[in-house]
Amino acid sequence: MTTTTLSRPWPSGRIIGAAILTLIAAFAILGPVIVPGSPFAQSLMKSLAGPEPAAPFGYDHLGRSLYHRLVHALRLSPLIALAAVATAGAAGLVLGTLAALRGGWVERVLVVLADALLALPGLLMVLIVLAIMPGTALGFWAGLSLVLWVEFFRLTRATARATLAGPAVQAARLLGFGWPYVFRTHLWPEVAPLMLTAAAFGTATAIMGIAALGFVSVGMRAPTPELGLMMVELLPYWREAPMALLTPVLATFALLLGLTLLAGGHRT
Amino acid sequence: MTLLSADDITIRDGATRLLAPVSLEVSPGEPLVILGETGSGKSLLAQAMMGTLPEGLRVGGTVTIGAQHLRAEDRAAFKGLWGRQIAVLPQEPWLSLDPLMRAGPQVAEAHRLVRDLPAQAAREQAMSDLAALGLEHAFRHYPHELSGGMAQRVAIAAARAGGAPIVIADEPTKGLDAARRDDVAALLLVALAESGGLVVITHDLALARQIGGRLIVLRAGKVVETGATAQVLADPQAAYTRALIAADPETWPRRTAQQPAGAPVVEARDLTLSRGGQRLVRGVSLSLHAGQILGVTGPSGCGKSSLGDALLGLLPPQAGEVRRASDLAPTALQKLWQDPVAAFPRTRSLGQTLGDVAHLHKAPKGRIDALLARLRLAPELLRRRPAAVSGGELQRLALLRAMLARPRFLFADEPTSRLDPITQAEIIGFLAELADEDGMAIALVSHDPVLIDRTADQICRLDRSVSETGTPQQVDLRHATA
Amino acid sequence: MNIVISRLAQAVTVALLVGAATFAMMRSLPGDAAWRIAAGRYGYDNVDAAAAEAVRAELGLGGHWFPAFLSWMGDLLRLDFGRSLVSGQPVIDEIAHQLGASLWLALAAVGLSLVIGPPLGILAGLRPGSLFDRALLVISAAFKAVPQFLMALILILVLSVQMGWLPAAGYGQPRHFILPALALALGLAAVNARIARDAMASVAAQPFYAFAEWKGLSRAQVLWRHGLRNVSVPLLTYLGLQFVLLVEGVVVIESNVGWPGIGHALVHAVFARDVPMVQGTALMLGLGFVLVNALIDLLAARIDPRGAR
Repeated sequence: MTTTTLSRPWPSGRIIGAAILTLIAAFAILGPVIVPGSPFAQSLMKSLAGPEPAAPFGYDHLGRSLYHRLVHALRLSPLIALAAVATAGAAGLVLGTLAALRGGWVERVLVVLADALLALPGLLMVLIVLAIMPGTALGFWAGLSLVLWVEFFRLTRATARATLAGPAVQAARLLGFGWPYVFRTHLWPEVAPLMLTAAAFGTATAIMGIAALGFVSVGMRAPTPELGLMMVELLPYWREAPMALLTPVLATFALLLGLTLLAGGHRT
Repeated sequence: MTLLSADDITIRDGATRLLAPVSLEVSPGEPLVILGETGSGKSLLAQAMMGTLPEGLRVGGTVTIGAQHLRAEDRAAFKGLWGRQIAVLPQEPWLSLDPLMRAGPQVAEAHRLVRDLPAQAAREQAMSDLAALGLEHAFRHYPHELSGGMAQRVAIAAARAGGAPIVIADEPTKGLDAARRDDVAALLLVALAESGGLVVITHDLALARQIGGRLIVLRAGKVVETGATAQVLADPQAAYTRALIAADPETWPRRTAQQPAGAPVVEARDLTLSRGGQRLVRGVSLSLHAGQILGVTGPSGCGKSSLGDALLGLLPPQAGEVRRASDLAPTALQKLWQDPVAAFPRTRSLGQTLGDVAHLHKAPKGRIDALLARLRLAPELLRRRPAAVSGGELQRLALLRAMLARPRFLFADEPTSRLDPITQAEIIGFLAELADEDGMAIALVSHDPVLIDRTADQICRLDRSVSETGTPQQVDLRHATA
Repeated sequence: MNIVISRLAQAVTVALLVGAATFAMMRSLPGDAAWRIAAGRYGYDNVDAAAAEAVRAELGLGGHWFPAFLSWMGDLLRLDFGRSLVSGQPVIDEIAHQLGASLWLALAAVGLSLVIGPPLGILAGLRPGSLFDRALLVISAAFKAVPQFLMALILILVLSVQMGWLPAAGYGQPRHFILPALALALGLAAVNARIARDAMASVAAQPFYAFAEWKGLSRAQVLWRHGLRNVSVPLLTYLGLQFVLLVEGVVVIESNVGWPGIGHALVHAVFARDVPMVQGTALMLGLGFVLVNALIDLLAARIDPRGAR
């Protein structure tokens, strides 16, 4: 896989998406270095106050610095989402390849399972897993992984079936190459670009899910800084401090737009 | 009177000239054949006369259709003539029918919307059009329920329903076997008799011969030769036309048969094969020795490829057995595919792929270079990816790759059916050389019985019901029809 | 026939999954769950150890998990969903009560998205690469990047809080529909416009599409007679898959605007650990997906007789 290079340069949408995400990541990582502060320190005197050097985005209703809450929120759900996507991607890749290679009942069982999971709303599965697992972050990771692997599995299986049945793989086998070589030179170069797209969409789905459940108060708990939770907390103060509410709204939008653009194509 | 004339048609892509000025005329009752290989510009010329060239290409010259004079660059002006003045038979007509609409309505809609017949009359007219082509029962069938030949007739009926006096057929025999080709030629001549004008664009010498009329030979965007078809084909003047005719299997000498020596490399006894639950090959026996070429022919879907796969050990037989020489290494059995692009990993350079194979088989340094020279391939090709190399070159590279494994048996599955005649002759020549000089046993599959007749020491003819094996003298290929 | 069998297998697996997941949820209820449930049922003043023990026994919270699991799945397969731990009412009645409200909202949203998305997508697909096509691509990417709850939030802020045109929440009158349905529809339309665009572009690039024009039919005739029918099949199949997205949206948006539907009830049930309600709702949503997709399969098979899918 080191030898495969993309034949065409990335389309401009993808580059813009990657740039947006880089900016957000830089903010999330370097934010506290530039302006030190805590996301939890309250000061009711400053409730809904405007920006100042120690809090460049102003304060929320409890007088906590929005800048620092946003920094932490932009670390929390993207990290959970990336962990879930990595788990789901690895599981989907392994199981999809296995299904295509082995066929028979292994494939049938996996397909039936994946189809059934596809029928259940992802947020619902996440909610149930959250109720089972101790710890909200762990629960989100487990629930989202459970939901997201299906897409990677389906992609890998479909690609692997087509590739493995094709003349190129038949030729490699006739020439005496083993399965590891076939995977590395035939399958992975076909699957990898699809995996990137699916991973970007998967990350967006996961972040949306965490925010949506936070927004309806069944996800992350206060006082954790989380995008959806921040929005619902600040919603009642819309008239007094519209910018306070817009801060997490715009951050969420930028994050998801970046991921959508990075994904390039779209799900089919 | 001329039905259609084109004057000084030129086509450019940026600075590159794809078609030098070409002029032509089509008179009633006299078909015009435009003959050329892939890339000769023959399809572009046809598109220029129909106003369907892609927007990116610059086109010059004028086209006169009936009483109308059109500038070729004014593509929109041609639209109104479609169906009414020019009928177009596209390549691969089974892809030209709407898969979700029944056959009858696809003909009837042209009568109703182009000729403004009332709905009932349009239906009746479509019904009688189809009946005239022997398709009374196809009216309510969907395209996927029709055979390729039936779909072709429906497409012809639909194209001509608008009543156009000129029919343009672009590669109407692409991908067809010999029997179906004759069928198409007959249909086109009927269309000519009824409509008046016919232009056929093809690479197929046999079709050109059957259509007759006048001939334009194109090569790399330039007219090489023109004249009466029969005359040009009988006595070609240009060197290129002569090469083209020499590449036609009809003109090849028959191969001098190799006497079997030693033990056979592969042997099949009473072989019965099925794929996807359908029985394809029944009771075939054959034995193939070093240096021999086995030719396998028959109509499409008869199990030619399955037979080869069974000899390779890729398809387990349903009954009977395949025996390979006991000293044969597993990698001494190799294969060539119809579409060489699909036989290479898409994203790796050819040099990487061949390097991997040479490494795996511990080929001595310089082996690849020696084979490149032997197959007359430029070493620069190795830097490219499979899709960036021409079909003929890539098929030779596939042969090179197989040779790195030092095969003793090679199964070549329609290796030239997507190639131009001259390239085809070259590849088949290499295969014969490998059999003669390297003692390779080769099974060659082709839908072209003439090619098989000239090339093989031993022939296996498959058909839906029968199969026979023997020398070219024994097996009567004239029966090899669909 | 194949369609029916494979969808039945899917339905059974969905039921098993939901059963297993909710059983695990039940077993992981915190220790005082029986007290809480008994309190919810009889009121805090009336709970005593005996009542809690009765609840514990009824739910099989004690003892080995395996017999409890078998009896749990047995109830599920007999379609006995039990009673809500919160209200004490049979789950089936509660769901029947809420399903209607959600169904109307979902239908309104899908209808609205179909009016907006596919026509724009088809227009773009007819001229791939044009300015309109690229503009639609950008707009749909932007809309796709707005989660449905955020869309609802924005619409609430703009249309009801700022402009005062629509009520932010409420149920019962037609005007209450507009905001939640629009919030759902915009997201769905962003995606189905893309699907329609790609389907149209691929159909228009097929040989039969050009051939229909060569027969002499006008552009509009070709689009009407050959384009729309061929575009409808992938679009329909996609709509079936979109059902999940729709349900998720319904769950969140109902909670946003206080819509008395199944999604709202689900969020409440999860919050209150009302496992039988969660199970009943999850099953209803999962089987709803299977049913909708089975119907779409049958419809697609009627339009496209090739039986490829």
